[in-house]
Amino acid sequence: MSAADFLNLFIAAVLLAGVYAAMSVGMTIIYGVMKIVNLAHAGFLMLGAYFVFEAYDRFKIDPLLGVLLAFPVFFLLGMGVHWLLVRRIATSDQPTLTSLLLLFGVWLVLQNLGYLIWGNSDRAILTPRTLSSIEIGPISFPTIRLAVFVVAVASLVGLEFVLHKTWFGRSVRALMQNKEAGQIVGVNVNRTAQIAFGVGIAFAGAAGGLLAMLYSFNPDFGASFQLRAFVIIVLGGLESFGGVAVGSLILALAETFVILILPASYQPAIAFSLLVVALIVLPEGIAGLWAKRRRWA
Amino acid sequence: MGQEAAVGVKDGGGNAGSSSVSRFVSVVAPLLLLASLAAVPLVGPGPNIVRLLFMTLTLVTASVGWNLIGGFAGQISFGFAVFYGLGAYTTALSINGGIPPAIAFLLGAVVAAVASLLIGLPTFRLKGPYFAIATIGVSEAVRVVMMNVPFTGGASGYRIIDKTRFVQSHHYYTALVLAALAVGISILVRRSKLGLALTAIREDQDAASDLGVNPFIAKLAVHALAAALAAAAGGVYARYSLFIDPDGVFAFRNGIAILLMPIIGGVGTIWGPVIGAFVYGLIHEEVVANFPQAHLLIFGSLLILIILFEPGGVMGLLQKFLRFVRARSSVGSHS
Amino acid sequence: MTNFCVHRLLQRSAALMSLLVIAVTVLVLLSPAWGQGGDEIKIGVIMPITGREAKPGQYQREGIELAIKQINDGGGILIKSRGKKLPIKEVFYDDGSDQSRSAGMAERAMSSDGVVAVIGGYSTALGEAESVMPDRYQTPWITPGAGATATFSRGYEFVFGTLSPIDLLGYTTAQYLGNLVDKGKLSKGLKIALALENTDHGVEYGRGIDTWNKEHPGYFNVVFSEKFELGATDFSGLLQKVKNAHADIFLADAHLQDYITMHRQYIQSGMDHQMISYGARGPEADARKALGAATDYIFAGIWWSSRLAYPQVKKFNEDYLAFTGHPPDSWYPATAYDAMRVLAVAIEHAGSLDKTAIRDQLRKTELKNSILPGQVVRFGKNGQIQGSFVIVQNKPDDKVDIVFPLDAATGESVAPKPKAH
Repeated sequence: MSAADFLNLFIAAVLLAGVYAAMSVGMTIIYGVMKIVNLAHAGFLMLGAYFVFEAYDRFKIDPLLGVLLAFPVFFLLGMGVHWLLVRRIATSDQPTLTSLLLLFGVWLVLQNLGYLIWGNSDRAILTPRTLSSIEIGPISFPTIRLAVFVVAVASLVGLEFVLHKTWFGRSVRALMQNKEAGQIVGVNVNRTAQIAFGVGIAFAGAAGGLLAMLYSFNPDFGASFQLRAFVIIVLGGLESFGGVAVGSLILALAETFVILILPASYQPAIAFSLLVVALIVLPEGIAGLWAKRRRWA
Repeated sequence: MGQEAAVGVKDGGGNAGSSSVSRFVSVVAPLLLLASLAAVPLVGPGPNIVRLLFMTLTLVTASVGWNLIGGFAGQISFGFAVFYGLGAYTTALSINGGIPPAIAFLLGAVVAAVASLLIGLPTFRLKGPYFAIATIGVSEAVRVVMMNVPFTGGASGYRIIDKTRFVQSHHYYTALVLAALAVGISILVRRSKLGLALTAIREDQDAASDLGVNPFIAKLAVHALAAALAAAAGGVYARYSLFIDPDGVFAFRNGIAILLMPIIGGVGTIWGPVIGAFVYGLIHEEVVANFPQAHLLIFGSLLILIILFEPGGVMGLLQKFLRFVRARSSVGSHS
Repeated sequence: MTNFCVHRLLQRSAALMSLLVIAVTVLVLLSPAWGQGGDEIKIGVIMPITGREAKPGQYQREGIELAIKQINDGGGILIKSRGKKLPIKEVFYDDGSDQSRSAGMAERAMSSDGVVAVIGGYSTALGEAESVMPDRYQTPWITPGAGATATFSRGYEFVFGTLSPIDLLGYTTAQYLGNLVDKGKLSKGLKIALALENTDHGVEYGRGIDTWNKEHPGYFNVVFSEKFELGATDFSGLLQKVKNAHADIFLADAHLQDYITMHRQYIQSGMDHQMISYGARGPEADARKALGAATDYIFAGIWWSSRLAYPQVKKFNEDYLAFTGHPPDSWYPATAYDAMRVLAVAIEHAGSLDKTAIRDQLRKTELKNSILPGQVVRFGKNGQIQGSFVIVQNKPDDKVDIVFPLDAATGESVAPKPKAH
């Protein structure tokens, strides 16, 4: 394989990592603040995809704009779901089975709603941007991937800003570190939890929209991405945002390059094997490794 | 201090009540159930009902099996499809190799038990959600590998060549015997030292180990038992359907179903998984047949309602109901 | 300890047991009546209308229902033993693209719901699972959507299929390309890259191509052949390998969803070949909507095209459009439509609703004005028809032409296809 090919693949992997990161960060926020593993994540990815699709199909809104619109819409939706269902279950500083199952039930419901509303056809978003590519010398990459990458990274940067520069962000980080201490210092746990859930779902919806620009989708969409999100946040450490970025990169690189050696039909196994190996070798994820090293220093 | 305990229902039934009347009832009632189930094929309700109950009974076995590790030990696994599938494939391969079915089921159970050790050894030291996610990873990785291994047919699936005439009741009684065996094992474990150790581990693993329990060995042992049961269920299913494939038996949704059943019925209890399997098996099939577009909705909503309002499942509801009745009647009698 | 505990235990166990016993009894009592009811012919239809295969499943269902409607509009099927025409009653089951459910529905239909026959099994996987049941319950089963020969080579006696074998599909594809070489449109010795889905379908397609190549050495050279997982979201790794193979012709065998995903990534990575095919997929409306002009000049080997010049095909197109509100998509409804029609003929010849008699007739019956290529449906000895395929090529502006066999062609092949950029 030539250097140009290698570079092409590498760039493709990095672009993919951006989307993966945007997709996984939603789960990280929710887990960090509420210790809830959001199994309904896939359902919101799917809804996000359809949201952006409908915006484009019916109202001719450019999909990238649609993704930006998805943030506030899904934020409200997330807060709604929290108010309706999630706040009614007991949470603790350990993830509970009840939360896992509640959200799994939500996923089943969302999936069926998808079927009822949109039927079972595969949809895709086709814009002039979709099939074009940008070429710089021997390197080429699809325009759409670049656009998606830019939006993903921008949203992550936005999140970092919120987390470090706003009161809400500080509350979230406090709760993630130590719930009781956070309460003592005056953080309103319930309010913060609700907003955090909203933000997590907002990212899920927007990420779904981004993914919809890359892949075709139907109401079953989301499951394979959800499992990838698991891999990423485990690799990165369930509660670290920097870890999510690192985890996304590792997964994207692995998926892109390992395939060159293995038969293509083994591709799904890459993510899962990575997951299992990571769990065994790095139980706290990469972030845990990093934290340990810092403690040692 | 785990919240897991709050989800299950404390089942003191096995150890309370030493009077002979209560023991009599707790023996007779299940036997009555067994007898009525055994009588079903003889009453001639039609092959579809028998098939439905057959499937339900295999689900009972898997459900009761999962409950040993998930309910008694509090170790929630999302990946039991891997044992179900291993049992199905081992049984299928064995039967095609001329081995009699009963031994084939046993072989499946043994293979799954060994696999459970291989899985449990590295993963049991993981905390909380990491373990659950690891089990998903293992289950799916095995599925993908099986899709590609030519020896077992890969994605085309594998077929059992069965020249014998199909007698539905044979399969039915096999499933019934297996289900009864599963419940029996469940009761035995519960009443044994192992069961006590598991309850301690579920409540607080570190405290239990301080008290001299070896959590690791206990969990490995019960995991192997659970895997064996799930595998036997898979084997019985395989022998009935004659055709299995990785996307069917190793499917993630199978692992979810096996986990859902005890939750619905009452995780951690003896009979909860049995009820859950009946609810899931019977309702699920009827719902799917009549509302093909809405079964996910119904099932998901049911799950949400159970989680929100009665995490102890059907058994929890039953306990509350009986407490209510008892409170009413004792008010009356303590005049 | 005490009365209290005893009381509670008694109540709890007894309550629980009675619950279960009641449930079982209710179930048994409520089980539907066994056997044929009154004056209608029950036919089971098992198709996925949810799940991965939902779209084609839906189209096949429509084909069957159109046939049923037309038969019932004429009063139904004449049953000699009853002395009159009886209408068909469809009993539909959605198997959700799930194999174990598919098998379960087949078993249910054949054993308890009292159908005389079942039409079902879109896609080889679902068909394989269902195919266990027909012999078990001695009920004829016709699949309009499962074409792998594996299903028909087990010595089953009640299994039939209106989908010609997939190796023949691969063989015809290679034959078409060979024909283009003979006509001078393609050079000799071109290199082929194969990407096959990891199923019986993919395996047989590859085998068909290999068979033709062995019979005609020197025409083509297969330089790359690999299997991919159904329903993957990302094929860039596979496509990179295809790129590395530097082939001239790209032949994939995929389901609809993967066709769309893969071809989109194919275009995005700037790839191009002289000829491109996705097996039995090409002209599907969903794909043309999703990919636009990128689907132009893709060719496919399919079991039927609405452009066949038979009068019965023209009529079918009109009836189907009126019935469903959309034109027939690719080949899906056609094999299902004829499956129902040949079944109706067999039932009439049998003169009764006896399932074995119907099966015997299926073995002998010919459906004379079939809409499938060749205009006749006749089951081979193993239950599968050995019909022929048509090769269609997508043309610009959503047009499609039949390009092979030459006597059915509606247009010229464009080969090699014009460069994409």
